[in-house]
Amino acid sequence: MKIIIGLINGMLTSATPILLAALGGSVTYYAGIFNIAMEGMMLGGAFFAALGSYYFQSWVVGILFAILGALVMALIFILFAVVLKMDEFITGIGLNLLSLGLTTYLVRQIDMPVTEIVPIPRIHIPGLEQVPVVGEILSGHNLVVYLTLLAVIIIHYLVFKTRYGLRLRASGYNRTCLDTSGVSANRIRVSSLLICGVLCGLAGAFLSLGVVEGFTQGMSAGKGWISLAAVILVSGSPVGIAFISLIFGFTDGLGLFLQQDLPPQFTAMVPYIATLVALFVYSMRLKKKFNA
Amino acid sequence: MTEMVKIFPPSLVALDHVSVTFREGEIHAIVGENGAGKSTLMKILYGMQPADSGDILLKGKPARFTDPGEAIANGIGMVHQEILLIPEYTIWQNVVLGLEPVKFPNRLDVKKARQQVRAKIDEFHFNLDPDAKVEDISVAARQKVEILKLLFRNVSVLIMDEPTSVLTPQEIPQLFSELKRLRDNGHTILFISHHLDEVLELSDRITVLRKGKFIGTLDAAKATKANLAQMMVGREVIFESLRLPQQPGNLVFEITDLKYTDSDKRLKLSDINLKVHSGEIVGIAGVEGNGQLELVNAIMGLVEPQTGSIRCSDVDITRLPILEKRRKVAFVSQDRANMGACTPAKITENVIMTHHRLGKRFTRAAGTVLDYRQAVAFTGEVRQMFDVQMTNGEAPFKSLSGGNQQKIILGRELLLTAPFILLDQPTRGLDVGSIEYVHRQIIAMRSSMRGMLLISADLEELFRLSDRLLVMHRGRIVADLRTESTNINEIGYLMLEGKAYEA
Repeated sequence: MKIIIGLINGMLTSATPILLAALGGSVTYYAGIFNIAMEGMMLGGAFFAALGSYYFQSWVVGILFAILGALVMALIFILFAVVLKMDEFITGIGLNLLSLGLTTYLVRQIDMPVTEIVPIPRIHIPGLEQVPVVGEILSGHNLVVYLTLLAVIIIHYLVFKTRYGLRLRASGYNRTCLDTSGVSANRIRVSSLLICGVLCGLAGAFLSLGVVEGFTQGMSAGKGWISLAAVILVSGSPVGIAFISLIFGFTDGLGLFLQQDLPPQFTAMVPYIATLVALFVYSMRLKKKFNA
Repeated sequence: MTEMVKIFPPSLVALDHVSVTFREGEIHAIVGENGAGKSTLMKILYGMQPADSGDILLKGKPARFTDPGEAIANGIGMVHQEILLIPEYTIWQNVVLGLEPVKFPNRLDVKKARQQVRAKIDEFHFNLDPDAKVEDISVAARQKVEILKLLFRNVSVLIMDEPTSVLTPQEIPQLFSELKRLRDNGHTILFISHHLDEVLELSDRITVLRKGKFIGTLDAAKATKANLAQMMVGREVIFESLRLPQQPGNLVFEITDLKYTDSDKRLKLSDINLKVHSGEIVGIAGVEGNGQLELVNAIMGLVEPQTGSIRCSDVDITRLPILEKRRKVAFVSQDRANMGACTPAKITENVIMTHHRLGKRFTRAAGTVLDYRQAVAFTGEVRQMFDVQMTNGEAPFKSLSGGNQQKIILGRELLLTAPFILLDQPTRGLDVGSIEYVHRQIIAMRSSMRGMLLISADLEELFRLSDRLLVMHRGRIVADLRTESTNINEIGYLMLEGKAYEA
């Protein structure tokens, strides 16, 4: 029982940053932007979260810094991909590399002792906590985990139920049509990237102020790429993304669990192997659909 | 609109001091041949293209729109030939996009939106289901959705650019009755068409343009097909033929019973039968969009015909791979920039394309290494033979002017040893001097007993070059005439009507 509860909790922790970034990617996916910069935005967010938390001794400021940092990244993306009409793919690669290099440099220049970083608190739900098993699974998570669940609902509502969502998806389907309907497709694209920035920043803050305390070089470790895979796998659907992220989270937790018997280098591959398997299953399904 | 001038570079005048008056509440047709300037005129009115000079007066006030959004806000809307909707969305979603009713917090008011769209549909008796997805409805219905989208924005002037070109013959009367109902509601409709039947049936007044010039505006009641055709095609022209008498040789190219239906199940080509002999130029006349493009694509293997065969010197080439096909068929495409050449590549590279696969001259080591010296030498030969104005074969192809680009392509294709040459609008967009030159080269090919199929929108060109003239109309060949025994009026009438004069 302990193992199962442990696995589920591990799953939620591992899934959260992927899910948050993938929700951001979902919004840009619907806007018709090939956005691969989630990794870089997340990493930037993680660094600035630690920085804000350290200097101001406040996790709230940490989160704000993370969001601002990721928004700056989003603005760079907007400048190149939307304003200057450069290739989105190249812009994304550039941004990811910039983020990795810049945060690595800065973390070597700025000494932030782990003990002086204020983490984001865990939320203990009174009452629920006492319930065996269910309480242990649902209560006691980091604040960001709960925010993420809320974000799934909000993004789903935003994309499918609002006026903004109708225009957002129209921008992805046919920009010219949206433009001739009197709505600037570029404004929609810009706003989608800003939303993506906010969510990736939050994901980064969770990494450096939630999972662990403090920033380490390259700590996003491919989570942004997995989030991209999740977005593409389910064609953007926020609820689908939530499922995929949980599966990744589970395999990640499973990898940690397997470390008892296998070398860690192998267990660390589990989520990525899962990605490939998922892609394979997905392509099979697509094939069937086309043949039908 | 008064005194509209639009000049497309290089020095091709699309509209030359055209002044037209449109009255409120009328259906006004604009007719003319390809390149007469009909679409340009409408695009200027709709704010899609700027005019170089001239004024537009809308209800007495000067108006000049910089983008379509502004035109729509001022009550002018346009339905394009290609339909601009989101197929994944339902009809009501497409119609309200940009003007969506909302509830707090930014939530789409689906009920209200559907009601509003429903009301518009009922008001104009459109017979559409607002919840149907656009990808599931017919092209005719999509066109109605486009019109509905504009009416939803309270547009009072509707511009329709060849609305019947995407419809089947059975769908056309319905569109016409809807347009008439809109007119009776006080809307003004500007209607571009090639088809004189339609124009006479639908419109109140008709304006004729020819080669960018305003020819006249007639009351439809007073117009006849004959006088409209005369106004469109122009004066009786006597063309001096470039051809010397020559006896055609063997059959080199033959199409039998070709039929092609496109992916939307529209019949594009049917019962195509034609023969080309060596030393013969067969011209195909027809209003654009009557199957010429599909015919070229079928010959070159870009689309696969459902039935029929294409044979070239006794080999069935219908489904041959392209390289094998190119041994038999030289091809000058009307689309220089995309199909005829690779514009960013060097001139030399463009010159040896196809040659480098078919001939041994340009490769060494069993075809794996290019012999660049031979390529440069060949470029020099083409340059001299075809009088290409260029400085350096290393320059990118796109640095050449249109005329010189075409000369390079012609040189490349005519120097292939293929017995049959397909010429698709070989002089489109060229200036008079280059046209003259290209014509002489084509005639020289005739003298060396190649068979040629020439597709052109320029009747003058067809009369100058062809031994025989075929006329295409709605995917069929409706006439096969010896050039000497016909005249431009007869061909013009056949192009527009698909049948000969009824005496």
